[in-house]
Amino acid sequence: METPPGTSVARVELVDFRCYESTHLDLPSGVTVISGDNGEGKTSILEAVVWCALGRSFRGVPDAALVRAGQEEAVVRTFISAPERSRKIEVGLRRTGRNKILLDGKAVPRLRDLIGALRVTVFAPDDLALIKGGPAGRRTFIDELLTTINPRFSGVRADYEKVVRHRNALLRAGGRVNSQSDEGATLEVFNQQLVATGSELLEGRLQLLNQIFPEVQLAYRELAIEPVVLEADYVCDWATSGPNETGLSQTLTREELAKTMRAALSALAGRERERGTTLVGPHRDEWALTLAGLESRSQASQGEQRTLALALRLASHRAVAAAFGQEPVLVLDDVFSELDEYRSAALVERLAAPQTLISTAGPLPFGVEVAARVCVANATARVQ
Amino acid sequence: MQTLIDELGRLPGIGPKSAQRIAYYLLKSPAEDANRLAGSITEAKARVTWCQRCFSIAEGELCAYCQDDRRDSTSLCVVEEPRDIVAIERTHEFNGRYHVLQGAISPIEGIGPEQLRVKELLRRVESEEVKEVILATNPNIEGEATAMYLGRLLTPLGIKVTRLASGLPVGGDLEYADEVTLGRAFEGRREVEA
Ligand SMILES: [Zn+2]
Repeated sequence: METPPGTSVARVELVDFRCYESTHLDLPSGVTVISGDNGEGKTSILEAVVWCALGRSFRGVPDAALVRAGQEEAVVRTFISAPERSRKIEVGLRRTGRNKILLDGKAVPRLRDLIGALRVTVFAPDDLALIKGGPAGRRTFIDELLTTINPRFSGVRADYEKVVRHRNALLRAGGRVNSQSDEGATLEVFNQQLVATGSELLEGRLQLLNQIFPEVQLAYRELAIEPVVLEADYVCDWATSGPNETGLSQTLTREELAKTMRAALSALAGRERERGTTLVGPHRDEWALTLAGLESRSQASQGEQRTLALALRLASHRAVAAAFGQEPVLVLDDVFSELDEYRSAALVERLAAPQTLISTAGPLPFGVEVAARVCVANATARVQ
Repeated sequence: MQTLIDELGRLPGIGPKSAQRIAYYLLKSPAEDANRLAGSITEAKARVTWCQRCFSIAEGELCAYCQDDRRDSTSLCVVEEPRDIVAIERTHEFNGRYHVLQGAISPIEGIGPEQLRVKELLRRVESEEVKEVILATNPNIEGEATAMYLGRLLTPLGIKVTRLASGLPVGGDLEYADEVTLGRAFEGRREVEA
């Protein structure tokens, strides 16, 4: 594991977060290992740091569940040291009501304005679901990478999701909201917005996949014991026109994508009204990955699936590093217990970051140089 | 006590904790203070109504802007809420009349065109001497949807329909935009396509 200069988390403070009443850690650059008995404590520290980067728990836990039992609010403060300037993120997670986010002491009105202040790459046991689970996980993977590299898309994505929700409400109400005489005028407006935001998101996704897929293939070859041919296909089931029936060519312009969406909207108008939900658009898409021609989701072995999941994370780490000229902070949550020696060593060898935070219950793979050890016991964490 | 906390908790932006704090504060403060607050709410509710023409806040039949003869009646600015008028007035870029929709199209909340002052807007455009309608709804999904809807309705009537220029923070609210940004958006407004 290399330690290039760059952004790192210099200090993290937790108040009423998970099991911690009040604790703080000063962290060096390089590798910090958090160890202790199995339980919530180790991962919680990583979870708190990652919340400040992604605006959510990387374990998919709702914010209310992060607040310590019997308390109303959990507070996480991270102090980020960077070559250009140091920053401070303070997050107040409320059991009820809106969260409070401060960046350098100033209130951040929307979550998406936090994106970019701290960049992290997370490897976690749940990553297996990226390959094994449904298309939603893969869409989230693409979209989060897209918004990290190009923050404009956090707005596009939020707008698109909002339009889909409005449109679903409209379709459920039969195309008109509390009205006798609308005749589809309101739905037509939301169709336009769906096409505008949806084609922009689609274009972003396709361009990103074009750019990073060679990186994914490379990472897969580096990590697999016996690599086979890895291929990917971006599938739009709703697309009724286009070069092939369901797949979309990755070189389509935004106007062409918009045209495809408009055609699908008129073709599927009847079914959308019947089902009362939006059937057209990138929220329905699948990024299908195949190994030696077989669907990785259902036909690959668990070992191959795990390798592929690692390859996705490694490729995204490199893509973000290339985009900003600086590696994100690496977070490895209990990763090595799930990997054999070969893949652990292969992963460790390829990872580079100014700072790496590792939680582990067992020993580390050979060759990891540790800068600090944190011991977690009885709901307190201490640097040794 | 609980009734008071519940009522306060129904106000926008006030959570259960704040409601409790305000309720205790009111109970501790002198009786005349509490009475003055109660009185001002009752009085405002009795005196302030919707302007009969533009549906902003008025203390009488018409609001101050509708009563003012020096304002240009050929130009009509459509906003979501009365508070948006305050933001636009600060820019000194506009000297026409206003029309308040009292919201924006939002199917999620069950708000369609019929829950807004859209019919009243059409009536004004037909009966008054309006030459230009400026759509100054918020630069977010609901505001854009409302502007598009109104654009489709108004353009066939043969008047000029414009939308504030971009440059406003997307996803934001008009009332939080600073004077300079909002002023420039006004100046650079563009015509709406049919
Ligand atoms: Zn008025």
